[in-house]
Amino acid sequence: MANVSKLSVVQDAPADAAVEVARLSHTYAGREGQVPALQDISITVGAGRFVVIVGPSGCGKTSLLMMMAGLRHQSSGMIHIQGRPIDAPDPDRVGVVFQEASLFPWLSALDNIEFPMAIRHAPKAERAKRANEMLNLVGLQGFGSRYPHELSGGMKQRVSIARGLVQDPPVLLMDEPFAALDEQTRMTMGHELLRIWSQTAKTVVFVTHSLTEAVYLADEVLVMSARPGRIIDRIAVPLARPRSYEMMGTETFAKLRDRIWQQIRKSE
Amino acid sequence: MTRPSPAAVRWLILIALLVFWELFPRTGLIPELFLPALSKVVAVLANDWRMYFTQLGVTLYEVAIAMLIACGFGILTGALVGGIALLRNLLLPVFSSLYAVPIVILYPIFTAWFGIGSQSKIIFAGIYGFFPVMLSTAAGIRTIDAQLLLAARSMGASLPQQITRVIIPASIPTVLTGLRLGGALTIIGVVVSEMLTSSAGIGYVVTFYRTILDSAHVFGGIVMILLLSILFDTFARAIERRTMVWQTAGRRQKEGEEPQVAGAPAPAPV
Repeated sequence: MANVSKLSVVQDAPADAAVEVARLSHTYAGREGQVPALQDISITVGAGRFVVIVGPSGCGKTSLLMMMAGLRHQSSGMIHIQGRPIDAPDPDRVGVVFQEASLFPWLSALDNIEFPMAIRHAPKAERAKRANEMLNLVGLQGFGSRYPHELSGGMKQRVSIARGLVQDPPVLLMDEPFAALDEQTRMTMGHELLRIWSQTAKTVVFVTHSLTEAVYLADEVLVMSARPGRIIDRIAVPLARPRSYEMMGTETFAKLRDRIWQQIRKSE
Repeated sequence: MTRPSPAAVRWLILIALLVFWELFPRTGLIPELFLPALSKVVAVLANDWRMYFTQLGVTLYEVAIAMLIACGFGILTGALVGGIALLRNLLLPVFSSLYAVPIVILYPIFTAWFGIGSQSKIIFAGIYGFFPVMLSTAAGIRTIDAQLLLAARSMGASLPQQITRVIIPASIPTVLTGLRLGGALTIIGVVVSEMLTSSAGIGYVVTFYRTILDSAHVFGGIVMILLLSILFDTFARAIERRTMVWQTAGRRQKEGEEPQVAGAPAPAPV
């Protein structure tokens, strides 16, 4: 593990960091005393960058993301979003897309997208206008009145992404959003996400356990170790944008993917 | 080759039963005391409709108040017990065991406390219907998808907003099922208590005519109670369907009934 840092080829982080995690550690009370979950994590994500966190299951990557969202509190260390500390959910700065869409089943797709604005009592006309824009952005024109149970898994995640973007937060956090989808839908959704990202210029932090997905989507891949979770590698992905499916067949792609795999294996 | 629809079969069975009810007593195989012919029961109902409806009015009044008590207190305690861990651990085991107790044994005490008028029936039936409402409300709140609450929090929902916009809509289906069950039990509670000790109500009518061996009038009362229960159940189900379109759509198709949602795929022919 000692030589891991030598492999890192992280490019200089831009000065205007959108997400900054500094020396974050987390322990929780287990049955036999304090269990370390996250250890000394420092991450800088430049504005507009797409960063993917990969790691074995149970490494704490989802916990880390929830902390960035202000939904959980770390034991020590700081998280800054857009230059200010975050200690509670702040939809003005951060949108979150969860695993398993987590749409409200009693609301139509449009009402689900409007939900964050409704909570803040935004005027009805503005809500409807904005929600419709988002619906178009994610490619669901004409499906606004459908209920979640009438939508496919991929469509549900599109609604979920629209909901995360509706308040136009600069940072979008995504927790394994495509994990429950089948392989083909997953690929399409990844590609769609990149399109939406390029149109909205958001900073994205994306958690996954799929190595292919990580390399395909990311500007930079952060590899986490098994518990206690640490960042054991930072890998810049030099593939050109826009990404295309053909890139998956290239040697660069395979090498990057293999390198991540080696790191994760070593850490276990 | 096409098979009759389940609904058609249900109606056929009902009609067959009614025909059997009319014809079988006429064969003389069964004394009229045990089962008077349908036409005789109908004649009694037509003759004494004023009496039946007056007594049904008493029963309805008691049922209405008892339901208000059962639903009101049931939802309130259910929400508290389901939502607050301390109360849940303290009270839920107690309530769950109480549910199994035949509360009817307490009815004689209630008549001693509240007399044999409507009051004792209302209180007894109210308690009887309270348990399923309370237990299902608690279950409904306890089984809410934690992910939905997390999502709402991530959008900045305050606690009151989480309650009104997530917890309440998410628990409505389970609560409504409890209300349907609890409502049915309050009807049972009122009728049973009227039959035990009373001076009015449709349950009293049944008991009264039983003691003077007037079977036709007894069956007249039974028919009224049946109609009351069926009416309530139909009404409750209609409300359930209206409010939980999103929940029933998947399940109803499995039951082979018509889909509730426009645009949902039609069920495969049975």
